[in-house]
Amino acid sequence: MLLTLDLNDPRPLHEQVAAAIRRAIGAGDIAPGDRLPPARDLAHALGVNANTVLRSLRDLRDEGLLEFRRGRGVSVLRRPDGRAALRTRARDLLEEAARYGLTADDVVALIKDLSEEMA
Amino acid sequence: MTDPQDTSVTGFRIRFLLAAAAWAVLVAAVLVAVPLAFAGRLPDPLATHWGPSGRPDGSMAFAAFVLFTVALWAVVAGIGAGVAARGRTPVRRASRAWFCAGLAWAGAFTVVTQAFTIAANLDRGHWTRAAGLSWQVAVVVAAPIALGALGWLAGRRGPDVPSGPPQRGPLIDLDPGKRPVWVSTATAPWATRLALVALATAVALAGAALSGLFGGGWGAVVPLALVGVVGLAVSSVSVRVVPEALTVSVGPLRWPSRRVRLDHVEQAWVEERYPAQVGGWGYRGLPGRATIMIRGGECLVVRYTSGGRLAITVDDAETGAALLNALIARQQPSVER
Repeated sequence: MLLTLDLNDPRPLHEQVAAAIRRAIGAGDIAPGDRLPPARDLAHALGVNANTVLRSLRDLRDEGLLEFRRGRGVSVLRRPDGRAALRTRARDLLEEAARYGLTADDVVALIKDLSEEMA
Repeated sequence: MTDPQDTSVTGFRIRFLLAAAAWAVLVAAVLVAVPLAFAGRLPDPLATHWGPSGRPDGSMAFAAFVLFTVALWAVVAGIGAGVAARGRTPVRRASRAWFCAGLAWAGAFTVVTQAFTIAANLDRGHWTRAAGLSWQVAVVVAAPIALGALGWLAGRRGPDVPSGPPQRGPLIDLDPGKRPVWVSTATAPWATRLALVALATAVALAGAALSGLFGGGWGAVVPLALVGVVGLAVSSVSVRVVPEALTVSVGPLRWPSRRVRLDHVEQAWVEERYPAQVGGWGYRGLPGRATIMIRGGECLVVRYTSGGRLAITVDDAETGAALLNALIARQQPSVER
């Protein structure tokens, strides 16, 4: 499973990890029914504590994206719905905008312009 | 392939397969003809197993004995045919040499074992009076190895088609502000179960032997424990790629583990490999050309800058190879950017 962590993300680590996993599920890198690598392997690769990864996995389970099964590990239950997936991407977009000095209002205006162009 | 050598290589492949088949048939013929020739002078059942003291301690009906040896050889030859018919074994010198060595060794071992079994039973009347074995054991070990060596030499003759250059697969777009990591595993649930059963049996036998219940169990404890430990080690593998390094770990404890700095990795690609091609499960082959075989199928292969290669059977190897190649390309901006 390919995960990307944002190096400038100010959010707590467990939220970043959850966002990375949510993004991977949303992008279809890992499909419903697939098993996630063990939390310990994820933690080692991401350079974070295993408990941090476990906390993100629990959050994602509470969101209904993951399923924990005894002896079978953690597997993907369903893909995030469109709104949740877009929320993650909008967040990324806002962060990128901030790097260029654009505010949320600028981005909203940009999206309105675009949708008018496309209409 | 539009190689000009192609037709000669195909011809060689056919000749090689015919030679291997001829050896298989010859061994099978000996395995049937020798017992039948001496059938009148053998007891039925005949001794087929000798204890550590060199005295016979197990027997088998004559027909079962012949069928068993022939069936054993048929299985070996069948696996050999499967390996030789598909894949590149016949046209790659190193793999062909080891294939011939294995086939020669297995044939010699079956024939020599059968011959000594028959010789020990000859004119004995009853299997319990079969001759003991002593120096014959050394021959059973040595003769097949000698023939295997001959097979290895014979297998080295002929063409050597190098494996085609691996194609550079797609790369993954790298965002400079992001840290990409790839984590994947492969597991063999049957190996875990087998290992746990072996370990549990070893512990139970050790317990029984310690309590004096069944003193004869000690001999089995060490091999069973070994099977358990090795089985656990080959039950799973975990591969992690981060921008600095590639880490490969095996077993439930993720130990032993090997970390390779990414500037020592030259290229990565995906291959299909099966246990029959690499000689079974676990760490197969010599360092530099090794495969970590957990389950048949797709495999991540990395080539080091030193020229060595390591293949690991792991799920989603394509993504891993793409990330590795992208990270390597980013490290060397002067090359292909």
